[in-house]
Amino acid sequence: MQKLSDKSDFKPDKKSMKLFFMFAVIGAIALPIIIFQAFSVDTGKALAQVNTAPVSDFDHNAKQLFKAYNKTTPAYMEGNSTSRTLNYYYSLRQYPGSPPFIPHDLVVEKGVEQACLSCHERGGFTQSMNRFTPVTPHPQHTYCGQCHIKTVTQTLFIENDWVSVLPPKLGRSELAGSPPPIAHAIQMRENCIACHVGPGTVVPIRVEHPMRGNCRQCHVSREVKTLFTRNPK
Amino acid sequence: MTITRRDFIRSMALNSAAIAAATMFPGIIFAGWKPTDLPADSIKWSKTPCRFCGTGCGLLVGVSGKRAVAVKGDPNCSVNKGLCCVKGYHSIQILYGKDRFTTAYVRKDGKMVPTPIDKALDLIAVKMKESIKKTGKDSVCIYGSGQWSIPDGYAASKFFKGCIGTNNVEANARLCMASAVTGCLTSFGLDEPMGCYEDIDNADVFITWGNNMAEMHPVLFSRMLANRKSKTHVKIIDLTTRSTRSSQAADKSILFNPQSDLAIANAICYEIIKNNWVNQDFVTRHVSFHKGKTNIGYGTEDHFKFKDKAETVSFESFKTFLADYTPEKTEKISGVSAENIKYLAALYGDPSKKVTSFWTMGMNQHTRGTWINNLVYNIHLLTGKISSPGNSPFSLTGQPSACGTVREVGTLTHKLPHGVVMKEGDRKMAAKIWGVPESNIDPKPTYHTVEMFRALDRGDINFMWIQVTNPMVTMPNLKRYRDGAKKDGRFIVVSEIYPTPTSDVADVILPSALWVEREGFFGNSERRTQHNAQLVPKPGEAMCNTWQLIQVARRMGFEKQFPWSQETYIEDIWNEYIQFHDTPKHRMASYELLNERSGVSWPYVDGKETRWRYNGKYDPACKDKTYDFYGKPDHKAWIWLRPYEPAAESPDREYPFWLNTGRVLEHWHTGSMTRRIPILHKAVPESYVEINPEDAKAMGVVNGTKVKISSRRGSVVMKALINGRGNPPEGMVFVPFFDESYLINEVTLDAFCPISKQPDYKKCAVKLEKV
Repeated sequence: MQKLSDKSDFKPDKKSMKLFFMFAVIGAIALPIIIFQAFSVDTGKALAQVNTAPVSDFDHNAKQLFKAYNKTTPAYMEGNSTSRTLNYYYSLRQYPGSPPFIPHDLVVEKGVEQACLSCHERGGFTQSMNRFTPVTPHPQHTYCGQCHIKTVTQTLFIENDWVSVLPPKLGRSELAGSPPPIAHAIQMRENCIACHVGPGTVVPIRVEHPMRGNCRQCHVSREVKTLFTRNPK
Repeated sequence: MTITRRDFIRSMALNSAAIAAATMFPGIIFAGWKPTDLPADSIKWSKTPCRFCGTGCGLLVGVSGKRAVAVKGDPNCSVNKGLCCVKGYHSIQILYGKDRFTTAYVRKDGKMVPTPIDKALDLIAVKMKESIKKTGKDSVCIYGSGQWSIPDGYAASKFFKGCIGTNNVEANARLCMASAVTGCLTSFGLDEPMGCYEDIDNADVFITWGNNMAEMHPVLFSRMLANRKSKTHVKIIDLTTRSTRSSQAADKSILFNPQSDLAIANAICYEIIKNNWVNQDFVTRHVSFHKGKTNIGYGTEDHFKFKDKAETVSFESFKTFLADYTPEKTEKISGVSAENIKYLAALYGDPSKKVTSFWTMGMNQHTRGTWINNLVYNIHLLTGKISSPGNSPFSLTGQPSACGTVREVGTLTHKLPHGVVMKEGDRKMAAKIWGVPESNIDPKPTYHTVEMFRALDRGDINFMWIQVTNPMVTMPNLKRYRDGAKKDGRFIVVSEIYPTPTSDVADVILPSALWVEREGFFGNSERRTQHNAQLVPKPGEAMCNTWQLIQVARRMGFEKQFPWSQETYIEDIWNEYIQFHDTPKHRMASYELLNERSGVSWPYVDGKETRWRYNGKYDPACKDKTYDFYGKPDHKAWIWLRPYEPAAESPDREYPFWLNTGRVLEHWHTGSMTRRIPILHKAVPESYVEINPEDAKAMGVVNGTKVKISSRRGSVVMKALINGRGNPPEGMVFVPFFDESYLINEVTLDAFCPISKQPDYKKCAVKLEKV
């Protein structure tokens, strides 16, 4: 398994760095915590809706997502300090969109709720891992162990011939300079800013303009690939 | 050196450029992921039910070229609304294990030799005919499972019961939910839950009886957590014999002594009556009281027979009967404090709370499985908390079509697709639909599963065809039945996808087409029927189980009963099968509708699914708008007087520990599929024995120490796990049964519920030795 040591450039090694570091940590941890605390109160309401309607619909949850966006500070949005690479991101998955496995030791081995979300719901800096925490796009699902599991060996029971498709290509605009369509399925990943904004995100998929909140104004889903055809009576 | 923000951004930009470049060479970078050259947007998504448990999640399987490459939850499926568990998300990888059977094998001089499948099918027909001629029709049998697609089970029943004329049809579901069936039949006269999963969104209190839902039914568990999160008052109470992940998430976890659930349920009824929480109106109008036999035995001896006899009694006699189950007396049997029993009764009794009870193997794999099912129904009936949104006693199933194929098609010795072999009217109906003489259908049931394997051992049965299940891992007291299957003169056919301990004892192995490699139907725990189309090609000579049965039936002269073409046989079978259920009590949806929707619940009447049975507001089969338990001749639900009786085998001086067996989240059933999914095997590569920390300390055992677990029947040596995800109480050990390298069922006892004939895998006595 890949070791998660942080090689990021801002690690302080001199006395003068300590002040900067403390400032950065306070900025990066305290603000999002305050912000997301307010956000987390509303998940119940969102869930009540989720229970009676299809969940994957952005339009259905948009208010929630805009709220989350509103409450995320510019400082957090522009934060950029991750050492996670896209390769690493994909190496935790079996195919585009599969639930990633857990690459670190578990803080609480037995926990069902809370334990994972205490870091992954809000993000921020995790001292023990010396890195910024990636944020889950679906904190409303609280039994993380249902889909995310930790591996304990690298050997296999029997080899498997399974293969999947290539990961989606980045930045494929339809016209030169036009906003690229959304390259992945949106189900379970409705909240764009969870993965595309903030200091814990993977660099190549970070947006260059995090301050613009209405992502779907320009980026549209591209799940259907057929062209429009008329269907005259 | 100081780093300005500008420097920092610049360095990150350089990093990201390098990373972006690296993604262009995908072949060299992904550890877990093996991409082909197919682009991400080449995927076509199609619906199917999940291959694993009885929850019946809707999946969207992504196919690129001819391969299944990705999975999403189906947002149109009301079961899971787009969410799966880790097994479901990786389920497509079960199609591609390296050791997949793609050709038939026939044993020649002790060795398995690859053989063209037509030749293997010829041989099976010859052997069956030979055995029937020599030793009679009851010397051949078929053993399937709740993993059978509905057409598989239907073809098996028609072939064996209708054509050959033997009732030797059984299924792994006997080991899995037979007690749920007999529980429903004795209490309501008709099988399967009255409620549906919408109860999860509506209940105020959940009480789980010996049920680790967090690992066994994680999607439903998450739905329960979501309900609790959206309202502040919702409570989850975990009644258990071992502390599990579900206990961690519950608001309260109550540990009880194995087998004492019988006493607890009665004590709850005692308290409900004592505190005047009985719903008098409901009880007077819709409930009658009955008594059955007691001291009913455990079935550990061959040829064990039992027949219950119901005697109608009064509410007063029920009250007298309950006098033995005061909370204080029950505390002594169960180890649950009187206070906690009163607390449970208060939750069930509070008229303002909607209560749902969930159970699976804890109650069903129980030597008094039928009784404990009856007793939990008693609680819901006394309080009238049944058949309405959020009020639901609910047995969850473990296999994807245990309900659809075993309970509804009736692939058990006494059953027919509609009714039972003992009833003339039911035999007449089957004979007519099947196009066979009525005399073909034997009115006498033969062997239930344990007795069927005993008959194989004794030699009363000498031909067994096993499809889609792995009895050489799952049978209790396994050694006897494995030795029996290997005896001379036995002929074992195994339809399988991968080598297993069961295919190891086979004389013929037929390669089966799996799940989305063929068309079929599953039926889940909440009476929902789900269709799957064939999405990817079958590998090699692999053949659909239904088609294997049709091929052999035709070779035995039953062309007339199995006339269908390979293009439409699944649809034709569906249309024939649903004639059995064509009443408002069980009408099924049409083939076309099932193709279209992500599952349809039965009874499907006048274009509407019935979500709560026996309640006139929702169920068109009821005679008016109130409750009508129409399964029973008196149109009432039956409360049963069932006492506490001890387990078949309890710990003693020589064997001082309880042995409890079960599953883990990552592996399904015997792991023959999930262990071939890389990520699941990497997470839980082998089985283990969970030991309480105090017991471990006393024995000087630490994590990973090898421990020998022995019973009067056998032993197994495996690694200890202390403070793992589950923790048994002192005096109990727990072993997951998925691992064929550690056959814990050589240790378990083949005692069963005399009414349901379902064995108890949760209780036997063992001793532990540090190795």
